[in-house]
Amino acid sequence: MRPRAFAALVSHLTVRQLRSAHHLTLLGWGWPIARLLAQLAVLVFLFGHVLHLGIPNYPVFVFVGLVGMNWFSAGVSTAATSVLGQRHFVMQPRLPTSVVPIVAVAVPFVDVLFALPVLVVMLALSTGLTWGLLALPLIFVLEFVLISGAAWLVAGVSVFFRDVPNLVGVGLMILFYLTPVFYAASHIPARFRWVLYLNPLTTIIDAYRWLLLGTPAPGPARLAAVAGATVALTILGHRVFTRLAPRFADYL
Amino acid sequence: MAARIRIDQVWKAYPRWGGRTLREAMNRRLPGLLRGGDQRWALQGVSLTVGRGEFIGIIGQNGAGKSTLLRLAAGISAPTRGQVLMPDDTAAILRLGDLFDHSLTGRENALTAALAAGVSPGRAKTLLPDVFEFAELEGFEDAPIRTYSDGMQLRLAFGVLAQLRPDALLLDEVMAVGDVRFQQKCFEYVRERCASGAGVLFASHSLDQVARECSSAVWLESGAVRAVGAADDVVGEYREAMHSQTRDRTPPPDAEGGPLELRRNRFGSQEATIEDVELRDGLGRPVTALSSGMPLEVSFTLRTSGTDHISAPIAGVTVSRASDGTICYDTSTANEGVFLPEISGERQVSLHFDRLDLIPGDYFIDVGIYEAAWHHAYDYHWHVYPLQVLGTSPDSGVFRPPHRWEVADPVPSSTPRS
Repeated sequence: MRPRAFAALVSHLTVRQLRSAHHLTLLGWGWPIARLLAQLAVLVFLFGHVLHLGIPNYPVFVFVGLVGMNWFSAGVSTAATSVLGQRHFVMQPRLPTSVVPIVAVAVPFVDVLFALPVLVVMLALSTGLTWGLLALPLIFVLEFVLISGAAWLVAGVSVFFRDVPNLVGVGLMILFYLTPVFYAASHIPARFRWVLYLNPLTTIIDAYRWLLLGTPAPGPARLAAVAGATVALTILGHRVFTRLAPRFADYL
Repeated sequence: MAARIRIDQVWKAYPRWGGRTLREAMNRRLPGLLRGGDQRWALQGVSLTVGRGEFIGIIGQNGAGKSTLLRLAAGISAPTRGQVLMPDDTAAILRLGDLFDHSLTGRENALTAALAAGVSPGRAKTLLPDVFEFAELEGFEDAPIRTYSDGMQLRLAFGVLAQLRPDALLLDEVMAVGDVRFQQKCFEYVRERCASGAGVLFASHSLDQVARECSSAVWLESGAVRAVGAADDVVGEYREAMHSQTRDRTPPPDAEGGPLELRRNRFGSQEATIEDVELRDGLGRPVTALSSGMPLEVSFTLRTSGTDHISAPIAGVTVSRASDGTICYDTSTANEGVFLPEISGERQVSLHFDRLDLIPGDYFIDVGIYEAAWHHAYDYHWHVYPLQVLGTSPDSGVFRPPHRWEVADPVPSSTPRS
């Protein structure tokens, strides 16, 4: 399928999914941002006032981390059940099943876009706006590709091993705490810090904060390593998915 | 003649899914490695070519592999062995439940279906009015699919299909849920596609449809091709075999006298038998004649011999006219959703007609008991129990429902025009 047609399908299915998710709720499109702000309030209360971590501009620091992390969690967890739960897509002869997990990645990206205005206001009220904001799309692309790779992998394997979505849920819960979302990597003793750096999300969130808040840059070496790992994961995920896809219909 | 769809020596195995818990998975996989897996062969060496303009029907019993064959032809599922070639531009309507997202509206689903079929988003939007017009669903565009009946879903799916110009078309049983007039509309579209060179595969339980509409037919039996050829011939052969299946299972007649004689007026495998058939009037007295419009009870006993038992059989009763065999009325427990439990030993069954409004004349009451999926008859008594319907009415026809004539009072004619 041509990339343009693929993109058109993804955007159509994404809009359709968002519509069906929001059409009967009163708050509609406001829900994702409401959830995000609630999460932010809890974390800011806990780590800005109860267990003071001493991070300057803590609310906006956490907000940037949450936006990056929640996109990944939502994308991967919905991707895990995306093929399982939508057999009508698998049964369409001309529909490339590989769009299905990508839709699961695109839907929470819309939440990210909706969070942007809030982010801009928070920045303007704290550290001020920087030119780094304009470079944000680069990191979006990197994270989109990263989530897509993971999404293809888990979506394909879940069809054959129904435990995978549960496993993914547990994994994401652990990952939330092993990623510097509400703390900074510098809070971790230096001898354990490498564990954080194995996690590509650490670098991606560091990059967001570097661009928006002017915190120390992750550095070209880490960025290049993460970009490489992302591409590798995505190629692997896509391979696995397309190898398994012809057998989906037999197992659904 | 270029082939549209070519299915070449195709075998298809489905894995047997036991449970999906860890323990069952272990039990299944570990011995599987040693034994080479536990598989069920749904198709066994099927070859079939659909040429340009050919409309091929696939017939066969449930589980014969019709749906599997269509899935493979659609490229939705891959053959275990062998090869399937089909054009890129293939459209399909397979199982109804697989078509739509039930929480979304008809419009949204139609749009998605068109996009999934390869139509560009811009063109898909302009096609929507035509989709709903063909489907005769104007006014239902914004209702969610879950409020659609099966027939409406099929119509919507066909409405989308009718906007496409596929080179190959695959249709599963679904056609059965539409009404006859809409079916004709669908067949018209299919014939039109054939005329412009598409190849069509159509799986159906309706032998009449296949014989009437298809140019040729394939008969699948237990995953293999049993016959292929002109639709009329294959359907005829299939029908003959289904009848003889009941006949083959009928044991040879024994010396026992009485009105019933195997292979003459009694058929079926005799795994379960019908005994003591009695026609009774409204007071429960045995009768062989009654007046038109009086109640009738058909009562019989189902019996299995020894320790045999049969599960969920279907009992049927047919009323036919003696003079020409016209079936006046035919019903069964399955038709009316009555569930017969497992029969072991004896069980009495009766059918009550509150009124039997037949035109006076001679009739037969035929009684049968069938396998749970109508696969074959266990026992069937044909033209054994006569019933005379009495009456003085010279009316003709088959039935004589309660009725009366009414002639209105005269109405003065309107004033003449000036």
